[in-house]
Amino acid sequence: MSDVTGNHREGAFQRAFAFAAGTPAIATLFGCVVLLVAGQSIAPGFASLGQIAGQLNVAAILALVAAGQGIVILSGREGIDLSVGATMTLAALLAGNTMNGQDGGIAPALLAALAAGGFVGLLNGLGITVLRIPPLVMTLGMAGVITGLLIVVTQGQSSGSTAPSWAAFVTRPFLFGLPGVLFLWLLIIVLIEAGLRYTRFGINLYAVGSNDFAARLAGISVGWTRILAYVACGAFAGLAGAVLLGYTGNIFLGSGEQYILPGVIAVVLGGTSLAGGKGNYVGTAAGAFFLTLLTSFLTILSVAPAQRQIIFGVILIGFMLLYGREKATR
Amino acid sequence: MAAVLEASDVAKRYGAVVALERGELRLERGEVHVILGSNGCGKSTLCKIIAGAVPADGGSVVLEGRSVAFRTPLEAQAAGIATVYQETGLVPTLSVVDNIFLGQEPGKAGGRIDRKARYARFEMLIGRLGKLAAHLDPDTLVGDLSIDQQQIVEIIKALSREPKIIIFDESTSSLDRAQVADFFALVRALKHQGTSMIFISHRMEEIFAIGDTVTIMRNGRFIDRRPVSETSRDELVNLMVGSALQQMIEARQSHRQPGKPVLSVARLSGGKAQGISLELREGEILGLGGLHGQGQSDTLLALYGGITRRGGEIVIAGKQLGGSTPAAALKQGLVYVSGDRGRAGALRGRPIIENLIVGILSKSSKPIAERGKLRAQVRPVIDQLKLKFGRLSDAIETLSGGNQQKVVVGRGLATGPTVLLLDDPTKGIDVRAKQDLFALIDELCAGGMAVILYSSEDMELIDHADRVLVFNTGHVVAEISREDLSEFALNEASLKTAPAHAEQQPAHV
Repeated sequence: MSDVTGNHREGAFQRAFAFAAGTPAIATLFGCVVLLVAGQSIAPGFASLGQIAGQLNVAAILALVAAGQGIVILSGREGIDLSVGATMTLAALLAGNTMNGQDGGIAPALLAALAAGGFVGLLNGLGITVLRIPPLVMTLGMAGVITGLLIVVTQGQSSGSTAPSWAAFVTRPFLFGLPGVLFLWLLIIVLIEAGLRYTRFGINLYAVGSNDFAARLAGISVGWTRILAYVACGAFAGLAGAVLLGYTGNIFLGSGEQYILPGVIAVVLGGTSLAGGKGNYVGTAAGAFFLTLLTSFLTILSVAPAQRQIIFGVILIGFMLLYGREKATR
Repeated sequence: MAAVLEASDVAKRYGAVVALERGELRLERGEVHVILGSNGCGKSTLCKIIAGAVPADGGSVVLEGRSVAFRTPLEAQAAGIATVYQETGLVPTLSVVDNIFLGQEPGKAGGRIDRKARYARFEMLIGRLGKLAAHLDPDTLVGDLSIDQQQIVEIIKALSREPKIIIFDESTSSLDRAQVADFFALVRALKHQGTSMIFISHRMEEIFAIGDTVTIMRNGRFIDRRPVSETSRDELVNLMVGSALQQMIEARQSHRQPGKPVLSVARLSGGKAQGISLELREGEILGLGGLHGQGQSDTLLALYGGITRRGGEIVIAGKQLGGSTPAAALKQGLVYVSGDRGRAGALRGRPIIENLIVGILSKSSKPIAERGKLRAQVRPVIDQLKLKFGRLSDAIETLSGGNQQKVVVGRGLATGPTVLLLDDPTKGIDVRAKQDLFALIDELCAGGMAVILYSSEDMELIDHADRVLVFNTGHVVAEISREDLSEFALNEASLKTAPAHAEQQPAHV
């Protein structure tokens, strides 16, 4: 009588892979270290503290956009916001025209940027939940509307400019030689993580993203939760627009476009499931830093922007395949 | 007489978890062999090993005198072992007939599919199922079928391979009573042809209705094997649970004194439910019975706001129910719990604790979630339900089905409901979890909570309900009091038709 024996030995590689897949934030940060080491060996100084601070500075803008995107993706039902680019441009133009180079205009400008972003998010949220328009279509349409309006209003001209103090806050050393915007980012990381865990909205967001019918039966207002997610996303895009203004000084139509795809990739790299209900912001933040480093790394390798785009796209699709596999084996 | 299949000392572990320590099964030719045990006792694992779905770590399986070790389900099928799983493995976007013959197409030369032959085979198979498959259209997409119809397609698919051994893994759990009777007729016919069948079911009465031999398992081990004719319900539960005689069987409630009215529903419609009126008193358990899908679930859902209400008045604890959402109902003291955990209960991927606190969080409507406080609030329910878990921060899917269901029930109970709506709450969970669940519900009812219980299992209604409303085609067609409650009475009443003024439809016989 022969034994019915199955040979099941997991290799070290599989185990390491499983661990990394289980904690994407750590895997992504490990990727950052790999990039820094590789960059340093090609271009000495790549991993210097000053350089890293600069990279973080750039990453902060992406991380703000990705923060909102992550919240929307967490809410499930193919949640995504493709209008964040247009919203950023809108908010940045509004902020630039409110500041108009004057420090006194900073507070109203920030408020205007947040409010404009939040309003766009509200429209997105209402369209998606009340009118039941698929998120992809709703937000893509919204992007078209905003961009069109901006062309009409601005005649395609750049207008407004950052206040000097706002530019300094975003780009110049503020504390410990780091720009103020990094402290803002840190604050936002803490606020989002706490918000996801310790507020009703945060817990409901996960519940809705995981299983919206069950969430509804548990007494959660699924529609409002989704609408709030889009409002938050719009507001974060608005804030990102304001920071972008401080970083570049002036805003052109289309300034925000370049953040749409990387924003989504940062969220996915950070381990948030595109199906919703699973993920956190620390991972997304790590993903944003990784993508920023990757951009610089590819730049020192003299990879042209078009090729960078290809690489970014391939990363996104590659990760999607990975998640697809994970789902199939469930 | 030699056994068709003999498994001995079969073992299986997943990492550190021992799923099966000492599996044993001796299946005779032409017998219906029931495997009985609570969830996690290893019966599914044993069946999967026999069916080639997972490899064993040790032990032997002998099929007709030949030692076998199937590496894939296909190998097992080729050797004559077919399995009908509870969760169907059908392709929703293919038609019924496509699904049945997937991978075994009657072919023509040149790789073309012989459609005529397929339909002929289909008709022949359908004939063997009798009434069970009478209305099954070969060209319907499987995704458009109800769960019970899908289960029937799975059964046909298994039969199409003319197996020597069929494993039925809780195949009756999605069927209603009439369908179960037809299914049993099929099982008897197969038996006469010499087919051996392994049958997993949590429904005690089915074991006595159809089983020849029963193998009892507990904690991954073979415990005992008995001829069904020489055992009793009590003995089986004892063997299965392994402790002193459990009270569940004689848990026919001492007659409760119903208190004052807490819920009154008038002419409620929604989904399949049409013009339902009912009264519920404090401490009462009102059963909803009848065949599957006659509007019982929809009554509960419409009451709770889970589906759209089409008219009707609901008064709970003297107050009109305001609002049409579950959130509004929850705030007024209603709670709904579905047995369909996957769709309507579990928040997959989320920690057990979050699954538990979302109910009280919704009811309190405070913006800040004080997790320490919330945890303390759900702690009593966790203990009362005897929830078995690793850590509260583990995802809910790390629990067994029965424990997942306890979490979903606990989520509702933690809100301290006045009226609890249970929609077939024990579907697919083991006897022990059922006991834990009903023990707590009985206790809470003694404290004044009122319950409406829909169950697809007659015994559950008979054991727990104070009276039963029997449904047919969306209407209440009979009310049975506790004194008259029996399987016979339920059966008989379920075939009554709606009163003359309502749209009359032929009863599903």
